[in-house]
Amino acid sequence: MALHISTGPHLRAKDDTQRLMLDVLIALCPATAASIYFYGVKAALIILVSVAAAVLSEYVWQRLAHKPIRINDFSAAVTGLLLALNVPANVPLWIPLIGSVFAIIVVKQLFGGIGHNFLNPALAARAVLLTSWPSHMTKAFVPMRTLFDSAAATGVDTLASATPLLVPGTVEVRDLLLGNIPGAIGETCKVAILLGLLYLLVRKVISWQIPVIMVGTVALGAWAFGADPLKAVLSGGLLLGACFMATDYVTSPMLKRSHVIYAIGCGAMVVLIRQFGNYPEGVTYAILLMNIVTPLLDRALKRKVYGEVKQHG
Amino acid sequence: MKKTFLGGVHPLPHLHQGKPQTDNKPIKDFVSDTVCIPMNMHIAAAPSTPVVKKGDHVLMGQVIAEAVGPRGVPVHASVSGTVKDIAMVQQLGKTASQCIIIENDFNDEWVELKGLGNVENCDVDQIIPAIQAAGIIGMGGAGFPTHFKLQVPPTKKVDTIILNGAECETFLNADHRLMLEQPGRVVDGLRAAMRAAKVEQGYIAIEDNKQDAIEAMTKAAQGRKGVQVVTLKAKYPQGAEKQIIKAVMHREVPSGGLPADAGCIVMNVGTAAAIADAVIDGKPLVERITTVTGKVREPSNLRLRVGTIFLDAIGACGGYTVEEPGKIIAGGTMTGICAPNDTVSMTKTTNGIVVLDQQEATSMDESSCIRCGRCVEVCPMRLNPYHLKNLCDANQLKEAKDNHIMDCILCSSCSYICPARRWIMSSIKNARELIAQRGI
Amino acid sequence: MAENNNKPSLHGIFMNGLLNENPTFRLVLGTCPTLAVTTSAINGIGMGLAATFVLVCSNVVVSLVRKLIPDKARIPSFIVIIATFVTIVQMMMQAFVPSLYEALGIFIPLIVVNCIILARAEAFASKNGPLQSAVDGLGMGLGFTCAITLIGIVRELIGNGSVFGINLLGASYEPMLLFVLAPGGFITFGLLLGIINAITARRAAKKGGEQA
Repeated sequence: MALHISTGPHLRAKDDTQRLMLDVLIALCPATAASIYFYGVKAALIILVSVAAAVLSEYVWQRLAHKPIRINDFSAAVTGLLLALNVPANVPLWIPLIGSVFAIIVVKQLFGGIGHNFLNPALAARAVLLTSWPSHMTKAFVPMRTLFDSAAATGVDTLASATPLLVPGTVEVRDLLLGNIPGAIGETCKVAILLGLLYLLVRKVISWQIPVIMVGTVALGAWAFGADPLKAVLSGGLLLGACFMATDYVTSPMLKRSHVIYAIGCGAMVVLIRQFGNYPEGVTYAILLMNIVTPLLDRALKRKVYGEVKQHG
Repeated sequence: MKKTFLGGVHPLPHLHQGKPQTDNKPIKDFVSDTVCIPMNMHIAAAPSTPVVKKGDHVLMGQVIAEAVGPRGVPVHASVSGTVKDIAMVQQLGKTASQCIIIENDFNDEWVELKGLGNVENCDVDQIIPAIQAAGIIGMGGAGFPTHFKLQVPPTKKVDTIILNGAECETFLNADHRLMLEQPGRVVDGLRAAMRAAKVEQGYIAIEDNKQDAIEAMTKAAQGRKGVQVVTLKAKYPQGAEKQIIKAVMHREVPSGGLPADAGCIVMNVGTAAAIADAVIDGKPLVERITTVTGKVREPSNLRLRVGTIFLDAIGACGGYTVEEPGKIIAGGTMTGICAPNDTVSMTKTTNGIVVLDQQEATSMDESSCIRCGRCVEVCPMRLNPYHLKNLCDANQLKEAKDNHIMDCILCSSCSYICPARRWIMSSIKNARELIAQRGI
Repeated sequence: MAENNNKPSLHGIFMNGLLNENPTFRLVLGTCPTLAVTTSAINGIGMGLAATFVLVCSNVVVSLVRKLIPDKARIPSFIVIIATFVTIVQMMMQAFVPSLYEALGIFIPLIVVNCIILARAEAFASKNGPLQSAVDGLGMGLGFTCAITLIGIVRELIGNGSVFGINLLGASYEPMLLFVLAPGGFITFGLLLGIINAITARRAAKKGGEQA
């Protein structure tokens, strides 16, 4: 009889990397569905191209680099989907393609693959696309159809900006919530994003700290600068970023208490960029900047180890 | 109020910690026809020296091996019968152990026993010698000689004994059943230990998933001097020495120190029951309660003689339900030790035998750390397991030591929770052995 | 890599600068101009040649006066010598290639503090004769020129669709602006560095394998 021998634990928790990534994909389903509802075939094609490119480039790289093929951990698919949800509907399809390849090869694999990237791959790729082809990335179509009647959808065909931040006061809160506004395909329907967040929280994939504190900081900042906090929160890519990108395990700190600082940092950056920066929207850069701070936070904040006490008596 | 510590895990929620298989099974006696008793069941002292020869007839409870040194404990025959052999047998350890093999004559003829009588008014100075003579060691798993634990050096101010009835380890119900069926014995043992160590406070700490045991123990503790039952939150590793002290007393054991440095002595409830037997009846430690569960036909809580072969115990539970078991674990699935084969013996510290099938036993591939932070969250010692694992893998032992690797209690909560299936605790354990070897 | 005999051949010195100890890809020196001016191939060549000129001249002069300079004052002396030649280059470029001068801007005067030049003065010219120093300067300078021109070619091609101003990818190509911006410099430099490291590692492994 050949018995297996190992140290403990002999049985493990059920959630593995694959399951956690699958959970993120499931949580993104409402937002994906909403993007296809609002933007039709265009959105579906962007998502398809982006996810396929991400998974394929991961496969090819691991093949060429003689590494174990791990595309079935779904992490590349998550990156591809997140990137797709972050581009506007009218971009040519080579944009998400290049973005996904860049995200996987340059941002993720060149740094050692899953767990070793210091930036969120989808966000870094979005920043690259934004810098490289600003004309494509900042021109957003209004949705091809709307949910209920909307004042916003009756206007012009295209807006010059990916975000209604530039035209405050013209958009109803209801439209912001439902997604009857122009923007990147996945960021507009806030209800869908919040549904996804709820799922992640219930499944305990992420903790509430990062999204809640980050959004709270932005609301507070908007209020301090005299803007409408609710609209500030519902505008642009803030919710998508706070729920799905800032909470990326690899690029956010390990400790709960560092999460607080990290989230406040993200929120404050968003406020500062929106208020003083050249860009109308700052979520991407805010999170990327805090990604870079993450290793420092991990180093700087240490817990007191059990037993760092005096002898009793 | 339920007491607890920071961190920890709720292991195997889908199996309810594996407990329901045996938590309502009354203790059954089982005696096998041969026992193989190892000489090194305890730690912290050299193995005991056999004093019988092949062919000798021994009575139950007769000393068959004598203690070596002041910390050592004697070993007693757990059955009456004939010494068949004294040989080196592969047990759970890395190398073979000297064992005395006795063929049972099923007469259960005891040697003459002489107890001290009532624990409350027996001679205090006789208690510790009685405990040593009974060969009692920590029955929660570690096997530290109990008489030595109770001899508190005068430099340390110990004011509390905590009886550990948490039984946070998965699959096990041995302590649970003991507290339910013999609560009086447990309290007697605690009182004897309190008197011997000159301690005024005694706590019996039980997790809140064993309400029936809490009730039984509370009833038994009524009117006993200084004894109190406390309820702990059910969480792993609630029963680890340092964590139970933190939960019950809000004290921390200083790094590198012993529980006595936090003013506490921690003992398993099983040990307390054994003390009661030794002090009241003069009965040596020759049997213990063991949960035999997992892939066996009738999972049970058995009262087994020390030295019972695993296969016999499993046979007493109807045998395997699988054709070929994948793993046989002495203890629970979190920290239990894998048996190399099913012919090893159970010792004074074997609180469980868990059989896993092939699929459960196949270890999963390690993948890259995704920095999810779960290991950090669950570490009951507030260490950074992911960081330690990286340092161990890179062979940076000095740095690992600076990062408190020696404070790890090897509870394996980090490995359990890791979604990348990394062997964090294993690496830490190996690195610590290297550190000890190289004297870093 | 280092020759065993004490007096390496002139050819050895030259190739050392060009390949084995390429200042950009092997020593990773002078990264500031490497990253800043390589937005196009022509900028790379211009910067490289300007630096080469300064490097050769300063190496020769430092080598000639190496026995006159007191040890403690050597760095200021080197800087003064280098600055002289930089000023000459700056004025020449302003006079004859004003557009390139405009494009390179502040990075021409900054050649003074280019690590490569100071490093060669300190590490080579102050210990060797003028001829060797001149060859070393030429090798190092051309190594630098080739490297940053290569970076410039890659960045210009991807970021602008052209090389040396000649459009190669057609009018329909939408250039990836990132590559002519600062992050593109870092990414290109990093990638090329990685590729060259991989090639050298593979060659070394092959060589080692043959010897074994």
